[in-house]
Amino acid sequence: MTDRILRIVLPLLLFAGLIWFWEWAVGYWQIKKFVLPPPSAIWTALVEDDGSLFTAAGVTLRTTVVAFALATLSGLALAALFASSRLAEAMLAPYTIILQVTPVVAIAPLVLVWVKLDNAWAAVLILAWIVAFFPVLANATAGLKATDPNLRDLFRLHNASRWQTFRRLLLPSALPYILTGLKTAGGLALIGAVVAEFAAASGASGGLAWRILESGNRLQVSKMFAALILLALMGIAIYLILSLLEWLLLRRWHGERPG
Amino acid sequence: MPRLTLTHLSRSFANGTHALGDLTATIGSGAFVSLVGPSGCGKSTALRLIAGLDTPSGGAVDWDGGRPEIGFVFQEPTLMAWASAGRNAALPLELEGVPRAAAAARAAAALANVGLKGFENALPRELSGGMKMRVSIARALVGEPAALLMDEPFAALDEFTRAKINDDLLALWQAQRFTALFVTHSVFESVYLSQRILVLSGRPGHLVADIANPAPYPRDEAYRTSPEFNAIARKVLAALKAAHA
Repeated sequence: MTDRILRIVLPLLLFAGLIWFWEWAVGYWQIKKFVLPPPSAIWTALVEDDGSLFTAAGVTLRTTVVAFALATLSGLALAALFASSRLAEAMLAPYTIILQVTPVVAIAPLVLVWVKLDNAWAAVLILAWIVAFFPVLANATAGLKATDPNLRDLFRLHNASRWQTFRRLLLPSALPYILTGLKTAGGLALIGAVVAEFAAASGASGGLAWRILESGNRLQVSKMFAALILLALMGIAIYLILSLLEWLLLRRWHGERPG
Repeated sequence: MPRLTLTHLSRSFANGTHALGDLTATIGSGAFVSLVGPSGCGKSTALRLIAGLDTPSGGAVDWDGGRPEIGFVFQEPTLMAWASAGRNAALPLELEGVPRAAAAARAAAALANVGLKGFENALPRELSGGMKMRVSIARALVGEPAALLMDEPFAALDEFTRAKINDDLLALWQAQRFTALFVTHSVFESVYLSQRILVLSGRPGHLVADIANPAPYPRDEAYRTSPEFNAIARKVLAALKAAHA
């Protein structure tokens, strides 16, 4: 129990110490505000925001969540297809890998040319989806294949249908792998969204990345930091929500403690 | 209950392994028969062929009156880690479409039969190795199969647990009279359990001896150390030794 408290208290103490030192150091060495603003200025930028930061954060969050949902659905569907048909896997797997290894920043201009003219948000969404999709597919495929072969035999012995085998055996035994994939994909969806916004590099996409670029150009460094804080908070929230989901779903397997 | 006939049963694999050479045997209904042999003699392969989990390269498996309902116990407990003991034991019934409540009731009865009364809601990770094996046996017997096939099921258990579970298995067999086919590499376990011991040697595995054990049931601790027991065990050991000389 004391160990647990220390794990929470120590990082918080360090955080408070660093913030204090930062605030003090900026004043002591008289660092210019457009190089490194003090924490108090960043806080002011955050709370006195005219709405532009939070609106942008909403856009980025929406992109992230939708991209994550699309990646989850398409990743699971394709993994199920791979697990049920070797032919489909042999045919499609190389393309998913090509999509994965090609840096998304490099694909971005192409996707932007295709869809940007009508809808910048859709372009950003597609790019974020590409980034988040692969870990779902890879983990789910690995999980579906890691099923105990004896249990598969048992299902066969009792003439289980394909659907029964999928629903009662493959899906539950792949669940820990799938959840690991989702945790990775959640973080990557956010990264993908921000990278795509940078690549789009226009106000039309309206996300936080654009606000960061814009503030940088105007030397509003406090606002840049505020935007970064919002992104970090989003990332943490996504991670915590997915960890909670994992804990809820896998409790029966591993016992009481969240991983 | 159906009689099982194996005719020149053989199995080779694509990688060139010739696991089972030639196995011909007739197994009466309700009999308790063991297949004994060293690792790699094809005894597990033979069991999988009999269960229909694998296709023979040659020969045939015939059941009088067609393939009956079969229960299978693997070397590992092979339980679904995410499901309770009750759900695990109910699996064969649920796959056959028995309504969940009815399946649960029969699974609870099957668990009680193997000494796990009241453990329906326990998860596999909460059970000991021996208890997991019992759940596995309950699952194999829940559908009241005509044949129970067991592939070295107790190899990983300690001696004490193994002796107890052997006795419980014999009690179940006497009560339910399924045909029992038991694969093991333990000569003593095979003699203690069976009416008949098929000694395989290999590879490729082939039948080297067919030894009857006429000792009556129930067999108990005293039988384990009796001269009759030793005589049969000596015969089985001699057959194995002769095959490897």
